[in-house]
Amino acid sequence: MRDEVIITGIGGQGIQLMAKTLALAATRGGQHAMLTSDVGGEMRGGPSQASVVVDDEGLRALPILPSTGSVVVMHHKHSAFALGRLVPGGLALVNSSVADPAAIRDAEVIAVPALEIARAANAPNAAGFVMLGAYATLRRIVGVAALGDAMRELVPPYRAQHVAANLRALDAGAGTVLAA
Amino acid sequence: MTEAAPRLVARDRPELILGDHGLCPGCGEPVALRILLEVLEELGIVERSIGVVGHGCYGSFVQIMDVEVLQCLHGRAPSCATGIKRVRPAAVVFTMQGDGDMVNEGLQEVLHTAARGENVTCILLNNGVFGDTGGHQTATTVVGQRTKTSLDGRDPETHGYPIPVAELVASLAGVSYVARGAVSTAGGVARTKRMLRSAFEHQLAGDGFGLVEILTMCPTGWFVPAGSGPEYLSGSLEAAYPLGELPLRGQP
Amino acid sequence: MTTATTRQLLDGCSAITESAIAAGCRFFAGYPISPFTGLLESMSRRLPEAGGHCLNAESEIEAVNMALGAAAAGARAATGSCGQGLALMQEAIAELALNELPLVIFNMARNQQDYFQATRGGGWGDYRTLTLAPKDVPEAVEHTQLLFHLADRYRAPVMLYGDPFIAQTHVSVDVAARDLGPLPAKDWALDGSTGGTGRSRQIWTWAMGKATEPGPGPDGHWRAVAAKFDGIAAMEARSETYRADDAETLVVAFGSAALFVEHVVDELRADGHRVGLFRPVTLWPFPADDLAAATRNARRVLVFELNAGQMLDDVRQFTHDRAAVHFIGGVSIHASGLSFGPLLDVAPIRERILEAAE
Repeated sequence: MRDEVIITGIGGQGIQLMAKTLALAATRGGQHAMLTSDVGGEMRGGPSQASVVVDDEGLRALPILPSTGSVVVMHHKHSAFALGRLVPGGLALVNSSVADPAAIRDAEVIAVPALEIARAANAPNAAGFVMLGAYATLRRIVGVAALGDAMRELVPPYRAQHVAANLRALDAGAGTVLAA
Repeated sequence: MTEAAPRLVARDRPELILGDHGLCPGCGEPVALRILLEVLEELGIVERSIGVVGHGCYGSFVQIMDVEVLQCLHGRAPSCATGIKRVRPAAVVFTMQGDGDMVNEGLQEVLHTAARGENVTCILLNNGVFGDTGGHQTATTVVGQRTKTSLDGRDPETHGYPIPVAELVASLAGVSYVARGAVSTAGGVARTKRMLRSAFEHQLAGDGFGLVEILTMCPTGWFVPAGSGPEYLSGSLEAAYPLGELPLRGQP
Repeated sequence: MTTATTRQLLDGCSAITESAIAAGCRFFAGYPISPFTGLLESMSRRLPEAGGHCLNAESEIEAVNMALGAAAAGARAATGSCGQGLALMQEAIAELALNELPLVIFNMARNQQDYFQATRGGGWGDYRTLTLAPKDVPEAVEHTQLLFHLADRYRAPVMLYGDPFIAQTHVSVDVAARDLGPLPAKDWALDGSTGGTGRSRQIWTWAMGKATEPGPGPDGHWRAVAAKFDGIAAMEARSETYRADDAETLVVAFGSAALFVEHVVDELRADGHRVGLFRPVTLWPFPADDLAAATRNARRVLVFELNAGQMLDDVRQFTHDRAAVHFIGGVSIHASGLSFGPLLDVAPIRERILEAAE
């Protein structure tokens, strides 16, 4: 089953790590994934965007998606491209702690107050993983355990102290969706 | 006063030399070739040796030296030598380059190769002139030396100063042996041959980069009679480039 | 916990590295420059583990000459850069060709503006550079192993024309070693062993041989090398078509551009347009005969490339009817200068094809 998502936000929100975690988890689970990134030049605050396509054998996808079934909006800034590619009625998972869900038209909009959820899970810097946990569960791409394994693989040794918090965030994000 | 006519002193050609050279009478480069090949033979490393030869009059030596050779781009021999040595560490790898090749075109190659401590031996044939193209100024042409591009003699105001590449190399960590000899006298030939031997011994011991600079005569490029090469060399190049083993100043 | 799989998520540079190692590459030298840098980094990590050497050379010229040396000594070697860095390597590429030395060169280009550089070459003499242009990472992985094979088979420098998408996109890949058939032993490679035998090996673009065993010299040698490239041209041209059999409009594109055109062809076919794609896989030798055949019945031949018109010259030369050829590409550069601009996207490509079809 094919899933496409463009994750959009600003630099420093962990967009690239979110996207790579999803792509890696899918790969480890025996699926095929394609991941492309587009980052602005600035180290902080500039645009950060990634697209992930997951499919079974025979994945065909373009590095610049002409359209996408889903968008994950971490921040309203620089989100125009991703929202412009969302198919009518497609899914827009919005980090409502920062971005206004009401501003998005012609989509199935789901608001996730990722920052609050992250804080409640004692993972204040892991809002991205909250959103990832929510998205992957909503779309039934991979389970939270698989995401956790992939995240562990990707987090560099000098950030190992964040692994536990990230896992809590993934769980909390998944939990938000299941409870709804 | 007429000078004595050159006379054939001996016909003693090592087996590793396959034919006559076509270089000018009085040229020092064939002498350098001979002592190099003698050293390889004496050390018993001919069947492990790979030479990388640059561009100059000495370039024609690739036809008469019975050693495996790669003839390479002007200035690039130390880089080629690096690639060869990395994949064949048991080979004895040397370069043969003129001053135009090594100190003009290839200055960064030799400095980088030396600093990396590549276990190769670079041999510089320095006559202070681009002989092969007809006698033009190089980075080692000494002040006052006439060439076709410094007709009144090298003038620092217009042409700047020569570069003593051996001293530069000796200042780098990664270097195990640097020496400068001259083939203008019998004693010089013998001492230079010992320098070559030391350099190759360092390579065999895996000590790092070695450079032997050999001042050679180029009477044609110096506009002097064939027999006056050695005298001209002593008075000009030798004054600017002191002979001997150079102290190594690089700190790892 | 998921079950283990040999499939990995790799960016293009890492996937190419695995493929090169699988092909037996044991020497790599390069100089950092975007988007080639990822390849230098992954080689730096992985080649020593595989028993090889990777050098971060102090300049592009040094990198290619180091690789030349390694190749002369018989190793499977590679280097690369993007077009800007390859510009510095042109002399050495010609030298490799005329020395008949195998080397794989990775142009991880910033866009499609290096087509002329790859296919015409900027070195001296009569030589050509066999160049493969993959459309995506999986094809780049295949091409990498093929290139090491072809380089050794023909004793020549060969090139992979990549780009930022191929360099940086992550895909799930399984990099397995491919058996591409037997090759002659490299008895020409330098190892010192023939020293003192009177028949010591010599690698020299002028090929004059030794005094005791003269070689063909520049005249004989350069004519032989030119003839060899004529032979390669006759044997190694590669292309693909996509839905081109009954196409009224045939789009010609290479590399990532072709990947986008494929998608547009599907969209337009669904709308009833008879559109197809012709994709040169070798940029040199250009698949001239294939193109002539594919364009025989096309009303229009549209060249889409991200440059001011480079492959266009080759398409014009070999298309069945030159008057049918139109250029629908253009220079389109990302704001950073380092990647493709907005033209490489489904909507503008579709628009240009439709416009030209009116």
